[in-house]
Amino acid sequence: MSATEIIFWILSVLALVSGLMVIFSKNPVYSVLWLISLFFAISGHYILMNAQFLAIVNIIVYAGAIMVLFLFVIMLMNLSATAEPKKKVWMKFTGVISGGLLLWILLSVVRSSIDMRGKIAEVKTGDIGLVENLGKVLFTEYAVPFEICSVLFLSAMVGAVVIGKKEE
Amino acid sequence: MNAIILSAVLGVVMMFSSVLVSNQKAYKGIALVGLLIILIANINETYNGPIFEINTYNMLAFDGFSLFFNTIAIVCTGVYFILTSKQIEKVGGHTAEYFTLIFFVLCGATILSAYNNLLMLFIGIEILTIPLYILTGSKKKDLKSNEAALKYFLMGSFSTGLMLMGIALIYGGTGTFALEKIIPAAASAQGAPAVTAQTLSFLEVGGMLLVTFSLAFKVSAAPFHFWLPDVYYGAPSVFTSFMASVVKAAAFVAFLKLFIARAAGTSVDVSKIIGVDWKMIVAILIICTLLVGNISAVRQQNVKRMLAYSSIAQAGFMLFAIFSLNEMAKEGILLYAVAYSLATIGIFAILSRMKDYTFAGYNGLAKSNPALAFANTVFLLSLAGIPLTAGFFAKYYMLASVMQTGHYMWLVIVGVLFAAVSADYYFRVIQSMYFKNSESENEGQLEENPSNIFKITVVALAIVIILVGVFPNSVLYWLYN
Repeated sequence: MSATEIIFWILSVLALVSGLMVIFSKNPVYSVLWLISLFFAISGHYILMNAQFLAIVNIIVYAGAIMVLFLFVIMLMNLSATAEPKKKVWMKFTGVISGGLLLWILLSVVRSSIDMRGKIAEVKTGDIGLVENLGKVLFTEYAVPFEICSVLFLSAMVGAVVIGKKEE
Repeated sequence: MNAIILSAVLGVVMMFSSVLVSNQKAYKGIALVGLLIILIANINETYNGPIFEINTYNMLAFDGFSLFFNTIAIVCTGVYFILTSKQIEKVGGHTAEYFTLIFFVLCGATILSAYNNLLMLFIGIEILTIPLYILTGSKKKDLKSNEAALKYFLMGSFSTGLMLMGIALIYGGTGTFALEKIIPAAASAQGAPAVTAQTLSFLEVGGMLLVTFSLAFKVSAAPFHFWLPDVYYGAPSVFTSFMASVVKAAAFVAFLKLFIARAAGTSVDVSKIIGVDWKMIVAILIICTLLVGNISAVRQQNVKRMLAYSSIAQAGFMLFAIFSLNEMAKEGILLYAVAYSLATIGIFAILSRMKDYTFAGYNGLAKSNPALAFANTVFLLSLAGIPLTAGFFAKYYMLASVMQTGHYMWLVIVGVLFAAVSADYYFRVIQSMYFKNSESENEGQLEENPSNIFKITVVALAIVIILVGVFPNSVLYWLYN
């Protein structure tokens, strides 16, 4: 087992454990902290796949900016165990059923797969994630979706003004 | 391409006009002129090619189908503006911004009609829905509207997350975002070796399932419909009208394009090998949607809520196109887009002027406003699918496309049965208008007396629906010319 493979397995275990802890933590602030550790693990995977730019952006944007926003929202909402609304039993029951169905579907497609058996992720291959190549692709092949995204952001901005502005 | 660029530009123009133009009435004029420009540019593109030559690297493909759908969407938006711009002005203090957001929605609809890449599908769906979250919550003082917007936003974001997950899985399975991937199933028709489980990655199947669920949410197919009644009921009636017409048709076109492009991978033969029966999945969606929509609509006492459930039922009929996936399905979905959008816009134009949204609120409308009652009757008959209205041929094409596939007669019978059920709740409105008397004779049923221009346009719209119902080929003629 080579060094990259060992790192891959460590990162995978870290990602899975943090992902599970996000769900199982009672305290929402702990959930957010586990989420940050999850993002770091995923960034590690990006680096293994030779995508340094994505790894850095993932840390700066998600682990940095978005998580701070998350923390702010959670602190503003002042979530605590007592304020939590009581969930009905049937509601939990339906949640388990629908979540279980999704799990069943995903598991059954994985079970019926032949092409992925006995393989792990390909590490240290590809150079699309490097800044230079990403920039080239972004401004040639993906220029149209890149520009069209501006409409999306513009509509979100107009919406923020419409919703946020005081009505005369 | 013209329609995408121009509708985005027009959105920006409307945005600036809110600063530069102080006259509230002028916005409607600007918006209508802008729509006319988009319409002319789009028709020009249909015959002479685009004005802007942009290499989209095959991410957007403008064929006759997509350009014709754009024309339909633009015309329907125009009719919507003419009939309801007065009500848009009444919603709140940001009239120009509402027009801006509607133009952005139109931009999203034109992207969805032309996308050829899953990335564009995602961007198109987002541009289509994000302005709608805002329009839903535009009545800020109304708690129902706030609740609807929040519900729509949370549920919509969740389903978008599912779609992203699905797209990521498809990318992992195929290595490309492109919609059309030549898989061996297509080649097997010409005697090449048949597809085996080896050639279809499980990631692709799982991803396709997730994208299907997400799109089913966007078009409100049961059991993904729970958001719809509250959102349609809580949103201001003018914007419900737009959501239920152009937006829904655009989401269906996106759904259909995805499935037609992947028809080879979801065909019956391939399904047998991988053990996922796509036809059965869509059939289950159809039956659930028809059942939930129709049965719930029958029990409603409020016309607006009834229309929300009936829109679920109509979605069930449009899903037949995704089931059959042939040329007739393509024609049918266009015809359905015309018939359903025009009728819905007409009904909501009248509904948004009513004082009372319950069935009783319509009592005696035929006496006080015979013209509106006549037009409303035509719209309702069209939605119910009565012959001589556009809705009949829309439903006919849908069922006929299933017949063409051969083996699924039972599904057609189910469809016809539910169409009969749907007549019940549409006719209750007609019954209220013509055969019941209003309790307060001296007061009208409408908030204010409608202008003659409004009456004439509504009746003209009703006549158009009858004409399309008599000559459905007059619409489909343009698809091939």
